[in-house]
Amino acid sequence: MYEHLLNPKSVAIIGASKDERKIGNVVLKNLIYYGYKGKIYPINPKNEVIFNMRTYPSIKDIDDEIDLAVITLPAQLVPESVKECVEKNVKYVIAIAGGFSETGEKGKELEEKILESIKNSNTRIIGPNTVGVYLPKSKVSTALTLPDRTALPGEGYLAFISQSGALGLLTMDTISEYGIGISAFINLGNRIDLSETELLDFFKEDENTKSIVLYLETFKNGREFFNKAKQIVKSKPIVVLKSGRTDAGAKAASLHTGALATNDNIVEGMMKQAGIIRAYSETELIDYGRALGYQKPLYGDRIAIVTTAGGLGVITADYVSSENNGVGLKVARLSNKSKDDLKNVIVPFGSIENPVDLTADGSTDQYDKVIEILNRDENVDGLIVYALFQTAKVDSSLMDVLEKHMKGKPMVVGILGSKFGKQMLLEAEKRGIPAYPSMERTVKAMKVLYIRGKYLEGRDIK
Amino acid sequence: MTDKKVIEEIEVKEMLKKYGINVPDGILVRDLPEKIDLPYPLVLKVSDPNILHKSDVGGVILNIKNYDELALKFKEMKGRFPKSNFLIESMEKPGVEIIIGLIQDKTFGLSIMFGLGGIFTELYKDVSFRLVPIEEYDAKEMVEEIKAKKLFEGFRNIKADKNKVIDLLMKVSSFGMDHYNSIDQLDLNPVIVREDKAVVVDAKLIMK
Repeated sequence: MYEHLLNPKSVAIIGASKDERKIGNVVLKNLIYYGYKGKIYPINPKNEVIFNMRTYPSIKDIDDEIDLAVITLPAQLVPESVKECVEKNVKYVIAIAGGFSETGEKGKELEEKILESIKNSNTRIIGPNTVGVYLPKSKVSTALTLPDRTALPGEGYLAFISQSGALGLLTMDTISEYGIGISAFINLGNRIDLSETELLDFFKEDENTKSIVLYLETFKNGREFFNKAKQIVKSKPIVVLKSGRTDAGAKAASLHTGALATNDNIVEGMMKQAGIIRAYSETELIDYGRALGYQKPLYGDRIAIVTTAGGLGVITADYVSSENNGVGLKVARLSNKSKDDLKNVIVPFGSIENPVDLTADGSTDQYDKVIEILNRDENVDGLIVYALFQTAKVDSSLMDVLEKHMKGKPMVVGILGSKFGKQMLLEAEKRGIPAYPSMERTVKAMKVLYIRGKYLEGRDIK
Repeated sequence: MTDKKVIEEIEVKEMLKKYGINVPDGILVRDLPEKIDLPYPLVLKVSDPNILHKSDVGGVILNIKNYDELALKFKEMKGRFPKSNFLIESMEKPGVEIIIGLIQDKTFGLSIMFGLGGIFTELYKDVSFRLVPIEEYDAKEMVEEIKAKKLFEGFRNIKADKNKVIDLLMKVSSFGMDHYNSIDQLDLNPVIVREDKAVVVDAKLIMK
């Protein structure tokens, strides 16, 4: 069923228009611009020809199955339009317009009308009050973004579900710069029908999705979401950015437990119990989704650090081990065997202790050997490797080395710098290597691998 | 609050006992009994569904060492609460005080809380929550999650067994499951945790 939404064979634009100021014009234009390969059916009551395309007066006039219909009409016209979609047996309907329950009672009534007409039908609603979906694989975008202002990411492994349209679009615009792709983006909007809980099921089945990241302001049905998430994290990681943390609105409470039961305390406990990884910003949301999607969980907390710059090594060691301004993991104590082996690889003024410092003399070949040694060391559970390109003996072939070692122990990579470094970050992304442009982000990515590993291990989930 | 029902402490404790939860030995009386079959020292508490926060109104007297003292304090208490019942209990030996509670959350349903008890509960708000029911691993994480976790790991030779807390959390979770839709809030505060056991010293239960 989810196939009809994530990979629609036909899309109808209800309210397609010649008028460039109309939503129906932008949506149709974007569908063509992004290169959607399925069948496009513009619906226009005046039966005009738009962008050289034949239009249909009503969705019911189309002699084809419709997987996805995008209603671009204003709120008061939406219930009637949905009704026609139901009669046509459309699988998914995106209702873009705002002006529903978010504006008050009248809008709420419109939503109730929509729900009434989809009752006992196969038609499902996304929204209303949504930017809709962006599906890079199918090349469908219903968002009203201007291609010269906003970038959209290419194909990737993260499914991105957002309650807010703008936050979703801005985040996608930002990550596009680093070549980070997504498998699908869905904006829930007012989510009168399709909710985050059901979408978890979709993306559990979706082979292109390796991790699911969500931005939520509220939960539509918290208990169901919890139960579903708890099941799904066994096979796919889930990361949630939940806003409204500081709402101290404790329950109408006469006992202590109630007074301490703030929204966020319970959300926090729920996520830990379900094995959901919590993010506190849009950056963390995507960073963690990539770490968990690209890399295996970390079982154990002993981290080896590899660098060619001593400063990065010590700062990272602090960050790894500190409980306060760090993540509270351990800096691994390398075995004597490893140290002997490292002596044969690294120059005498380098460090064979963890953090392992190859110094500016470090070469691609040395990286390879050092990572090999650390992967064999039983005192090491995971690796943080800085791929730094300021020195002469390290070149882009380091990416081949890192890609090869993705098979080894859980490894995250830090790549600092804006010129060649940035290029290499893009390269890492192409190869599915979790790489980050700062030490802090690199270490935190490692931490979430640990949280996931601990969760799975503690509950005997293989 | 008006439509909600406060259960009397002795009743709550009887309910808890059925789940294998330790509570002090005690008797519910209206007047001073002639003979007490409980080991001293004792605790005397007012027991009245209309008085939720007993200590705030002088409704709890601790460390009563003999019958004469009991008789004196009883008279005093009776004067203050002429229409109420009284609970006489053996006083628990000291240990680490914790709080365990249940609360209905409008988004997630019945949830369980664990934290440091006594005055520290509100001072540090050092608590952790999970949704009911919990698994043993969740209970373990709840204890390890609070900042004061070291109190259960032998800090300064304090002997409070973490496993007794985990066991109690599991029992409270079972209790919660069996009354899932009827519980409004439950406070076990304080629970005294020592090396050999965890004892629920005070229990407040409000049903929907």
